[in-house]
Amino acid sequence: MRPHVSVLRLPRGPDPNGRGFDPNSPRFIALCPTTISASTETGTDSVQIREEQRARSVLRESFLRTLIAMTNKQVQFHMYERVKVEAKFGASDIDVLNFQVSELHTPIGVQKEALLRCQDVISYSFDL
Amino acid sequence: MAMRQTPLTCSGHTRPVVDLAFSGITPYGYFLISACKDGKPMLRQGDTGDWIGTFLGHKGAVWGATLNNEATKAATAAADFTAKVWDAVTGDEVLTLAHKHIVKSVNFTQDSSCLLTGGNDKIIRIYDLNKPEAEPQEITGHTSAIKKALWCNNDTQILSAADDKTVRLWDRNSTEVVKQLSFDMSVSSMEYIPDGEVLVITYGKTIAFYNALSLDMIKTVDAPASIHSASLHPDKDFFVAGGDDFKLYKFDYGTKEELESYKGHFGPVHCVRFSPDGELYASGSEDGTLRLWQTAVGKTYGLWKCVLPGEFSSIWHGIGKVLTGAWFPPDVMLGIHAKEFNLGFISPENLVSHVLRVL
Repeated sequence: MRPHVSVLRLPRGPDPNGRGFDPNSPRFIALCPTTISASTETGTDSVQIREEQRARSVLRESFLRTLIAMTNKQVQFHMYERVKVEAKFGASDIDVLNFQVSELHTPIGVQKEALLRCQDVISYSFDL
Repeated sequence: MAMRQTPLTCSGHTRPVVDLAFSGITPYGYFLISACKDGKPMLRQGDTGDWIGTFLGHKGAVWGATLNNEATKAATAAADFTAKVWDAVTGDEVLTLAHKHIVKSVNFTQDSSCLLTGGNDKIIRIYDLNKPEAEPQEITGHTSAIKKALWCNNDTQILSAADDKTVRLWDRNSTEVVKQLSFDMSVSSMEYIPDGEVLVITYGKTIAFYNALSLDMIKTVDAPASIHSASLHPDKDFFVAGGDDFKLYKFDYGTKEELESYKGHFGPVHCVRFSPDGELYASGSEDGTLRLWQTAVGKTYGLWKCVLPGEFSSIWHGIGKVLTGAWFPPDVMLGIHAKEFNLGFISPENLVSHVLRVL
């Protein structure tokens, strides 16, 4: 029987907990020094970049805190196609792609447990 | 003694893999993107198959995927009637281009400034990625769904293959058709090789090679089974093909002789492409996996390791259960075990008694 070519290991598979694109990989670090590229032009003052980064950090932190504050509260979601639903917010997934909700009130009934696709949500509001 | 090919299986997709594409060679190696009916295209390191990331956002099967040369951008075509452009370093979605029907094919120009799309609405569209809100240039003419649309001739022309059994060459500026090829059946795949201007087309059991500028036929080769995709090696000495019988075939381009065939996939092979350095080729199948195959079997490259006769090498299981097996002579090599495992090489002196598993 002819021998098989040997392999060092198998190719690494996907990480079940995230979507990958490791920010610590050499390629990421080299090609994405800052994620502010969308709003800055070349040759912008570094002070402006720092200011913007500070603002972004504040906004991000506020957003994450709102997600925490929302837990177990009644939230009204405005979605595409003039859809307005209300539900008790449970949790968000790590990439904010899905919201886990309970007692989702929809025009066709109340869904005990549901996942809302964040892409479909235009806005949501809740009382603090 | 000739070695037997050990394909590297890349798992992760949960449905058939319908398209795949390599990037060019970048300072970080080259990359591979796979389009899958599970709607989640994946980016992998090209020479090892290691998963890098999954592009999340499409709401339907992804039919086409491509990378730009530098592997900084990716584009995907999906059944959710959109084509999306992604940052291939961060995985973020950069642009969504709404279409009126299923999008099947996406292709960047060499400088990544324009994106070509084609799909079931029978219209070829050219998007300027620097002005994404602007209306795309439209090229009409095909009478059936477009399977593939590719830039060619230095991005001055476009090649398209559709279910109307034609392959058409268009001028980008005039949007007029320059030349047309008609077939008795639908073309299953198309590959364009800029270096040498070769067009590889598959239909039925045939792999056909054309001059991409004149659309003159160079040669045709028939395979033992219906072929879904074929790819020509960069040096134009081999080509590989795969299709309905689950096997990968390797042919000599010059003599048209079938050199080797490899079993491995558990379903029809939908796409096959050579890497930019020609050292391996990747295949995507109905079975939901991608497999990487060596062009020169037995060579040390990527995860494949050449073991010289007489050299001791062994693989031992580092976690949990030790596998039963038997001790093998030096030049018989070891197979692959699924699930988590640690691999190491032990020199013969340190080898007390280890057990090995051979597949």
